[in-house]
Amino acid sequence: MEIKKLLFVTRFDKLRFDALQSLMDLKKAALNHVVFLNVIEREKVAMRRGKGYEKSAEIRLREKANIRFIDWAETLFEQGMEVGVYIVVGSFAGQVIQAAEKESVDLIVLSPEKKGRLEQLYSGSDITEIVHRSHTPVLVYKYLTRKGPLAENPFEKPLLATNWSDASHRAIDYLKSLKDVIREVDVVHVASEKELKETSAMGIQKTRKENRRKLEDLCDELEAEGILAKPHVYIGDTVAEIDKAARECQSSMIIAGSPRKSLWKERWGTSISKGLAEQSIFPVLLIPPVEG
Amino acid sequence: MSKKVLIVDDDPDVRLFNTTVVEESGYTPIEAANGEDGLKLVKQESPDLVVLDVLMPKQSGIRLYRELKTNKSLQRIPVIMLSGVAKRTFLRSQKALTEFGDKPVPEPDSYLEKPVEPEELAQEIKKFLG
Repeated sequence: MEIKKLLFVTRFDKLRFDALQSLMDLKKAALNHVVFLNVIEREKVAMRRGKGYEKSAEIRLREKANIRFIDWAETLFEQGMEVGVYIVVGSFAGQVIQAAEKESVDLIVLSPEKKGRLEQLYSGSDITEIVHRSHTPVLVYKYLTRKGPLAENPFEKPLLATNWSDASHRAIDYLKSLKDVIREVDVVHVASEKELKETSAMGIQKTRKENRRKLEDLCDELEAEGILAKPHVYIGDTVAEIDKAARECQSSMIIAGSPRKSLWKERWGTSISKGLAEQSIFPVLLIPPVEG
Repeated sequence: MSKKVLIVDDDPDVRLFNTTVVEESGYTPIEAANGEDGLKLVKQESPDLVVLDVLMPKQSGIRLYRELKTNKSLQRIPVIMLSGVAKRTFLRSQKALTEFGDKPVPEPDSYLEKPVEPEELAQEIKKFLG
């Protein structure tokens, strides 16, 4: 599971070229092809009373995007990278999934949700829909602000959140394929309050010990692949604790498996991947389970 | 039978512009929207000239150009590069690929930066096809 080709989805506001540059360490892990995608959302060029379809608005938006992409592509071409581009009109999630399929990309990189909470309730979250419908890992890129709003290599010191699900196992495999890019990984399991079957100190410590042992086995597995790994157990609300762990470990990114749930549950329920993508300040790489 | 010109560009408006220039010049245009389809058409149709964009989905003009110029049966086909990407970038990218171990390729027969006037393109096409 190598990252040879990535789809970089941008609206030019929250995701700039420096974000892509910060991912260029992936070249050590086989990256050689970047595909740019800009989706012009329909409402920007849609039919308006008395105005009709705004073809001129579409041309303007396309050319603006094209000029930026040419500039970015020139830099990448000169590094010997292969570059492709799509500038399309349509629904955001649908176009991202379509481009990812057409190009058979190994990673989708996009910015955090643009829609507000109320809008998400009616039309759903784009990220949730993409993670749900696509079988490609999705990196929700966020600028880390430790040294101001700078783009740092998110793969340098990731935090792997695992709950031992199939999607988590795929995330582990994905991580192993990135061993040339990763300096160190912190492996975290968050035990929920419900998992603490006993209320005694001994019982709670037992839960920690069991999880810790599994994490240590996983860290040994990663170290055998040449990735320095440290285990951590947290207890409480999963999203909040993963975010806390990432802060404490000074992580550069959170990696988590994203189990397949119904879109309805994803939209209305409390999905961890959705929670991380929306609430965490860290870039979040969501790995869907294997197809079928 | 008139000579065939393959136009490879992902932008339908540019393809329309180029095919019109080709037709007006008395040649037969054929079209592809990306490098991958372009290569298939080169092999199927054996065009007399290729007008090639650089930045496209699936396969860029940089890779297609390299495929054409390193293939013994295709390297004789003249190529006009027509792109918004600067010629300097094109040459540097080819140099970078050669440094990574690919075969060296010659400079393109012609390099035009978008946008072009119809007369300029027609004149360039005639230079190769007479």
